[in-house]
Formats: sequence, structure tokens, C-alpha cells
Amino acid sequence: MNADSADAKNKSKDDSKKSKPAPKKLDLKNLDLSVEKVEERISPSETNVFDK
Amino acid sequence: MTDFPITLIFPPQAHFTQPYMGLACLKAWLQEHGFDDVEQVDASVLSYDHFLSADYLRWAVRRAEARGDLEQVAKQDELPFADMDTFRAAAEVAVSGHVLAEKVEDAKAVLRGQDFFDPAKYVPAARTLFHSLRIVSAAWAPSKLTPHNFTMGYSIDRSAEVLAATRDEDQNPYLDYFRTELLPALIKRNPRVLGLSIIYGSQLIPALTLGRLVKEALPNCHVTAGGGFLAYIGEKLLKASALSECLDSIVFHEGEKPLQELCSALRDGTDLKHIASLGYFTQNEAGETVGVKNIAGHPISLNEAPMPDFDGMPFDAYFSPEVVLAYDVNRGCYYGECSFCTLPTVIGPGYRTRSADTIASHVKTMREKYGFSNFNFITDCLPPGMIRELPEELISQGSNIKWWCDARVEPRAYTKEGAERLFEAGCRKLLFGFETAVPRLLKLMKKGQTPRRTLEVANNCNDAGISVTFYAMVGFPSETREEARDTLAMLQENAAGTIGPNGKSGPLREVSLQTFHVDEVAEVFRDPTTYGVELLPDPAADLQLYHDFNANAGMSQLEASEMFDEIMAGLRESLPLFHEDTFFYFTQKSHYFLHLASGLSPDEFIEHCRSRGVARHIELARSESGEALLDLEVVPLTGTCPIPFSYAEVTRRLAHPLARAARPDFLTGTFMPDLELRAAKGIGPVPSNPEKQLVLAYSPNSTEFVELSQDGEAVLDALRDSGSYGNLLQALGQPEGPERERLDLFVLGLHKAGLLFVPQHQLTVS
Repeated sequence: MNADSADAKNKSKDDSKKSKPAPKKLDLKNLDLSVEKVEERISPSETNVFDK
Repeated sequence: MTDFPITLIFPPQAHFTQPYMGLACLKAWLQEHGFDDVEQVDASVLSYDHFLSADYLRWAVRRAEARGDLEQVAKQDELPFADMDTFRAAAEVAVSGHVLAEKVEDAKAVLRGQDFFDPAKYVPAARTLFHSLRIVSAAWAPSKLTPHNFTMGYSIDRSAEVLAATRDEDQNPYLDYFRTELLPALIKRNPRVLGLSIIYGSQLIPALTLGRLVKEALPNCHVTAGGGFLAYIGEKLLKASALSECLDSIVFHEGEKPLQELCSALRDGTDLKHIASLGYFTQNEAGETVGVKNIAGHPISLNEAPMPDFDGMPFDAYFSPEVVLAYDVNRGCYYGECSFCTLPTVIGPGYRTRSADTIASHVKTMREKYGFSNFNFITDCLPPGMIRELPEELISQGSNIKWWCDARVEPRAYTKEGAERLFEAGCRKLLFGFETAVPRLLKLMKKGQTPRRTLEVANNCNDAGISVTFYAMVGFPSETREEARDTLAMLQENAAGTIGPNGKSGPLREVSLQTFHVDEVAEVFRDPTTYGVELLPDPAADLQLYHDFNANAGMSQLEASEMFDEIMAGLRESLPLFHEDTFFYFTQKSHYFLHLASGLSPDEFIEHCRSRGVARHIELARSESGEALLDLEVVPLTGTCPIPFSYAEVTRRLAHPLARAARPDFLTGTFMPDLELRAAKGIGPVPSNPEKQLVLAYSPNSTEFVELSQDGEAVLDALRDSGSYGNLLQALGQPEGPERERLDLFVLGLHKAGLLFVPQHQLTVS
């Protein structure tokens, strides 16, 4: 994958504030709307900080 | 200027928040002894600054993506342990790489400027740097660079692997960095001597990489190395003659005198064999390269050593708003009994100190010379006399500094009055070796202290306004789970903010928790039977310092690693400084101290951090109550990426103690035999889940990774396209009933995860 295609894949973009119609129909009855914030565990190698 | 230029380099990797002291001591000493052209370079912080730049991150993203790792793992039905790191890195590169490149320069500016003191800006900036280093690591996989560590896929206890690592163009990021950023200036300067300071195992490969490049480019430059880590393994390095490609000599223990004598000998053309505490490579009669170690020399008189000279250090490059200068008040330990301690090996024999008068005079001069008023005293312990004398001198000489340091529990000195005097003299934080709450283990460790007296000292310091940190240890030979839990209970009972039976808040602010390791110079290694330890030899490890072992009683190493997690989880609940993102201040060396030095008390600092949480809580409450729900918008630059396996599940499995053990930790830098296989078996593969098409999202505001379904991504896209949730509902024809409720809950979930925000203009409270 080159950088350009990565850019295209990554949907980072500045958002338009304008109101627009929804881009595609959302089947609200059957959507899987799970959200999981990934907890980062602290490794011992990142806590022994005063010896380094 | 003389015609004998000397360059001293602090090689990567070490922490990036403040300068280390060794080079400054050596520079001052050499100058005092007639070498007036001594340059010092902190290549560690300079390399971090280089890697953590927009251009470098963009390049790193391209390099990582060119491997096509995400596409490769996507072809598999399940993700084995061996591929989990690769998958995680590739997913992070895809979803966050470009955003981090956009944000990294701002993040560095936050840490280096006055925004550092604003938790709402500091925490995302710190997280941005952490995540950016993961992008750098992905480019050089399986190498890993974090704020605290650098490891490669090579073990540092085998000379053949170390040498191969110095040549690995694909995995060693420092080859390219040194060639392009450091070597041209070195070639121009053409030093006669290059001195490398290696105090951590994480510096070994980068230092030898640089040594080899310099020896190739500048054949007349003598490359020497010293520092604490080489005090441990220097003799073994000398036996590995192939490493003479990278080094000409090694300085043992403190470097001032041997380095001075080495420079004199090279300048005058005299033999190196007369230089005490020096080892070097030479040719024997058969023409073979061999290492020779001279006799050990006497330590210098520390009180007569000059003030460290930090001239030329890149003060602007450190990731702190103000540099905290390191200063060596003493060397060695006056107590010297602890059975786990290896200090005499690192520092050399004996205990030496500067006088209180000299210390006060030096720090005052350094404050005036450099304009920095914050100091980290490098010491393992201040003896009782110094605890009483130093404050008097600092106050009477008008030193006007703030400082922190390690300390030994000395109940006669850290009295109520003694602690108050220390605070008055600028002391804002002390770190005591608590180790364990269990008297049996304290006796085995030969600590010569009791938990009761330690807590008495901690309370006196806390009452005086000094922040108290305890060092604690888990996994000391024979320690049981119950004993470790007793230690946790005592730490929690004495946490700041926890009210004890006497009606007072506990004194403890931070705990630096370590897992026990057996190294070759500790008493446990010399007398394993007494400690119930069976050492497991590894003959192939010719540079071995740390040894694998089986414990005959108490916890195994793996159980100790699991207990580490349990204790850390307990501490994160109980210590206010360890709550949620406030933990970042603890992990960044002097960053918490800098707030104390700026005038906040430890309690005020916690309140200061809570202000960020409170603002966030108010915003979330407004959207939960429905007041601001319709205003929610997608955070600009939020990225998404489809992923073939659950990133959340992989992250959980990689945090398993077995998975951690399969990678070298910061202390040992070595790979334990068979652990990769054991981890693969114990952790198991992550199955793919084609029915639930997963998407990873990353918001530059919250700097959190969030896992959604593809449906969730569709809603996120629709939200982005509509502009706000209110607009989206309008476009959807204002759905009602259960559908609306589900959508509201999802949008709230996105908000809590940091992917949505209430625009500033909507936050104005009427």
C-alpha cells in the first residue's frame, strides 16, 4: 500500500459543518452499534521510571 | 583551543525529559585537567526529537505500510500470538499514523512550553508522543522504541546478536539516524577521542552501532565507552573480541580519571597498560585481537571534583518546559547492606560525598549560569548528617532552588522539624526504598528498617509538604502471593486521600513498583541457596547479566508478573496521582515534580488535574441529559480503518504477563528461552469474525483507539457528512422509539470514547 492509498483509506478529514442528507440509508433496526474504547494496560517497563 | 578535540556522546536510548549527568561531570573534569576542547552531545534526546517529527512520522507510515502487514494477516483465519504485535502495529499505523504526523509537532510544543501546566493540553500531548513512538516502532519492527525503552529482535546478552543488530539496516533505526544526523558533524570535527556513556542496557546496541560507524569513518579516532551498564558487563565485552569493530577501550566505574589518563596517553603516545580502570582491545603475539583489563584504580575525591559542566547540552530539545539539572551530591551508599542492591558494582567501591557547603555553592552557581532552578540530586541516599547540614547551607547561601532525590529511611533525621527544614530548603519530593510491608522479607533483604518507621518518616515529610514516593518490589525470592497482597494493603491504607484510623490522610503519593530480577553481582546470585533460588544457566549468553531462575518457594517469576498487575491495579485505584490519565505525570520522570516546583502542593496538583476531568464530566453530562446531544459533531481528523481481527482483544492478550515476558523488558533487554512458545500456547490465537466486520477508529482529541462495527462506522460517516447529530436525525426523518433510543446510546458511546465533541460555541453556558 502506498501513502496515497493509505490516505484514501484513512478517512481523516476536516468536517463540513453544513447540514447534508445522510449519505446512505441506515437500517436502524439491524445496526450493530457496539463501541469499545480500548484500555491500554500499563507495562512494568513503563512504570519503573525513576531508575532510568 | 588545543589540537586534541574530544567528543562525549550520550547514546540512545534514555528518557527524554531531562539531561543525564555523566557527560557533564566528565567534561568538567577533562577541562580542569588541560583538555579544553570537549564537546558533549545528548544523542538520545536529539534522536527522539528527530523521530518525533512530522516528516519522520510520514516517512515511517510509508515504510510500515509498504510491508503490507495488514493485508497479509487478513488472509489468515486466526491470528497467532507471533503475529499479534505486527497486526496491532499495522492497524495503528493505518488509523492513526497520518493524524499523529499532523499533531506531533504541536504535542512537543505543549510539553516544552507553558501549556505543559494545563492538564487538558498536557495529557493528549503526552499520549500523542507515546502513540507516535509506536508508529516509529512499526517502521522498524520488531524493534520497539518507547519513552522508556528500546529493544530489537536481538538479545543484548549475546555478543554475536549485538554485533548483528549494529549492522541490521532493516530493523536498527539508529544506523540511518547516525549516518544522516550525527556522523557528518563528527567527521567535520574529527575528534581524537569519542567517549560513549552507556548506563542502561537499552543503550548498548545504539552505542555500539555508533562506535562502529565512527571507527569506519574516522580510523584515527579512539572510541571508548564507560558508564554503569558497562561496569556490569565490561569484562565480558572485552572477551568478545569481535566487538573491537565497535570499540577500542572500556572505562570501568567512574570515568573521570581513566578518561583523562586515556586522553593523555593518546595525545602523548604512551602505553595504555598503565591506565588504571581501563580495559582495551589489542593484538597478542599471534596477531589475534584480545581484550585486556588493567588493575582497578582509586576513586576520585568527589569533593574536589569540579561542578558538572552542561555547556553545549541541547536544553531546548528536552520534552519539559524547564530543564531539571542533575547533580551528584554523593557516590556510593553509606549503608551498603541491601541484599538485592548492586550499587558498588556500578559506582565502584566506597562511599564519597561532596560537602554541604560545596553542594550549595555549586547549585547556586549552576542556577545563575544556566537559569534553571530545579535539580534532581543524583544519590542513593543522604546520610543523616547531610540531611541536617544540606538545608542549612542551601538556605544560608541563598541557593533558591527546588529539588528531589532518592532517600533512605533515617528516622532520626527525617523528624517533623527536619522535614520542615528540608522543605524550606527547596526539597519537594523524596523517594524512599520501602520495598515490602513484610518483616520477614525486609530481614532477608537486609534493609535495616521497619514499615512502622518508614511510615513515620513518610508522614513527617508529607506533613511538611514534601511529596513521598515509595519504591516497592514484587517477586523477591520466597515472597508469597499473600505477602505481596499484604504489601499492597499497606500501600493502599497509606495512600494520600485515604483517611487512616488517626483521622489523617495517608502520606503516600507515588509507588515505583519493580519486579525482582537476579543479576550476576547481587548477593542472591552469589548465594542462591539462602534465598531458595535455582539459577538456570545459559552458556550461549556470553554478555549475560540477568539470570533466569526457578524459585523453590513463594511465587514463580510468572506469578510475580501477574501479581505486578494486581498490585498496580490496586494502586491505580488508591493513589490519586495514579488515577486515569494523571498517571502520565508519574511516568514522565520530573513532570509531576515540576508542578510542585512551580508552587503547587501535592494536594493542589491533584485538584488541578481533576479540573480536566470535571470539564469532561460536565460535557458528558450535558450530552447524557440531552441538553447537548444534538450538537455533537465528529472530532476533525478522526480516522477509521477496517481490521480483520479485534484490536481490543489483541491488545488484551498482548498485556498478558506471558506475552510481556516474551519480549525483553527494560531492565534485562534479553529474551528468555522458550517464552515465545509458552506465550503462544498459553495465550492462544485470536479468531477472525467475518460476521462482525470490525473497524478501528482514532481520535486526535481523545487520543484513544476505539473499536466499532462496520455499521458503527457507517453511522460515524453519516454523522460526519451531516455535520451534527441533530442534522443526521433530521436527514433520517427524526426516528422515534427503540430505534432512536439505540442511536442515542450509540452516539453517547462515541462521545464517551472521544470520537464526538460539543463544539466550543455550543459550550457557552447560558
